[in-house]
Amino acid sequence: MVKFGIEFVPRELYWKIIYYAIQAERGGFSNLWVTDHFNNRNVYVTLTVAAIYTNKIVFGPGVTNPYLVNPVFTAQAVATLNELAPGRVVLGMGAGDRTTLESVGVDMQKPLSAIQEAVDIFRKITGGESVVYKGEVFKVAGAKFLFKPKGRIPVYVGAQGPKMLELAGKIGDGVLINACHPKDVEYAVNCVKEGVRQAGKKFDEVDVVAYTSFSVHEDVKKAIKAAVRVVASIVAGSPSQVLERHGIDVKKAEEIRGALKANDWGRAFGAVTSEMIEAFSVCGTPDTCIERIALLLKCGISQFVVGSPIGFNVREAISLVSDKIIPYFKV
Amino acid sequence: MDYRKLVETIPMAKREPLLNKLIDLILSSKNDEKMPTQLANVILLHWQSDILISESGLTALFEAAVLLEPDKTIEVFAQLELAGLAEQIKESVTKT
Repeated sequence: MVKFGIEFVPRELYWKIIYYAIQAERGGFSNLWVTDHFNNRNVYVTLTVAAIYTNKIVFGPGVTNPYLVNPVFTAQAVATLNELAPGRVVLGMGAGDRTTLESVGVDMQKPLSAIQEAVDIFRKITGGESVVYKGEVFKVAGAKFLFKPKGRIPVYVGAQGPKMLELAGKIGDGVLINACHPKDVEYAVNCVKEGVRQAGKKFDEVDVVAYTSFSVHEDVKKAIKAAVRVVASIVAGSPSQVLERHGIDVKKAEEIRGALKANDWGRAFGAVTSEMIEAFSVCGTPDTCIERIALLLKCGISQFVVGSPIGFNVREAISLVSDKIIPYFKV
Repeated sequence: MDYRKLVETIPMAKREPLLNKLIDLILSSKNDEKMPTQLANVILLHWQSDILISESGLTALFEAAVLLEPDKTIEVFAQLELAGLAEQIKESVTKT
């Protein structure tokens, strides 16, 4: 049966996120993901508060990257969280985005090796080992925790490109696919399957997650209004082959990119088309969202993440998902 | 302003609609930085136990709403035909 997750961005104050997290847990969501960007509030502080105020929801950073935070330090934070909420903690790890890394002067070198090594180091050190590691990107010279980590913590790998998706299937307990459209998700799932095959695992041993930009409202115009901002930035950051795959005019995307750079929000949001909304979000009334989620399930996902913006009114949107969407898939 | 005493005067039938309006007001406020941490934690503790509708829960929400959105809080009370309370909030806000 499909699981529902929800993503929050700690640009918001902790008490808002925790209010929504409690609501989501009560409403049938099984996973809580909090993004990790240096320019927002800290992910682990937010998750610590979530651990205290929730009882059963599974949570973790979605996703952290090993370039800005050394995997040893990530392991320490996640293992400590797992003491606070045993068995409810997972790690989401991805390569991050080039623009953010560049803004702090960090090169995204060898992303495939970086992720593979970071996951390896994470598993060894949280497994209580003394880690000696000589990777292409990371080197560890005998690091060991002075406390005993509790249990095995599942690792989800965030991925977009084919090679990373394949690696994610190979090494991950779960894969976070950053896509909304069935065409993209189907392609991604096939790449994941290849990785799973190479690792000699069964496909259903891996939690395959569609990590979507989501917006729901009974009034479709309000759902779209909320989605436009997020879709504009996705379009601006998408390579031309992805845009072309969805029949999106590359010049339009460049126009949005330029407007966002110039902080001209009106022009940027005004240039977002219905094709862009369709390609880069799950957006609309509860019935429309159900149809889209059903298509994604057919592609092979096992978890659907309701990601930013969630809706025009987040509280109302969580209620709609809990009352109308989740029950539809639980029957 | 003694929020608890004011909450005690709110008719039972009006408490649930008031609760929903106050929560929406607080969560959608652009003045969220004005929320004192201790008050936020009281609200979260009540929400965690699902007792925001209690008098202590409503008191915390009421106080937070006035701190974050005084004018809109007055409107909420007026919309719910709690004119007396709206007037008291108005007086208190004007004094401060």
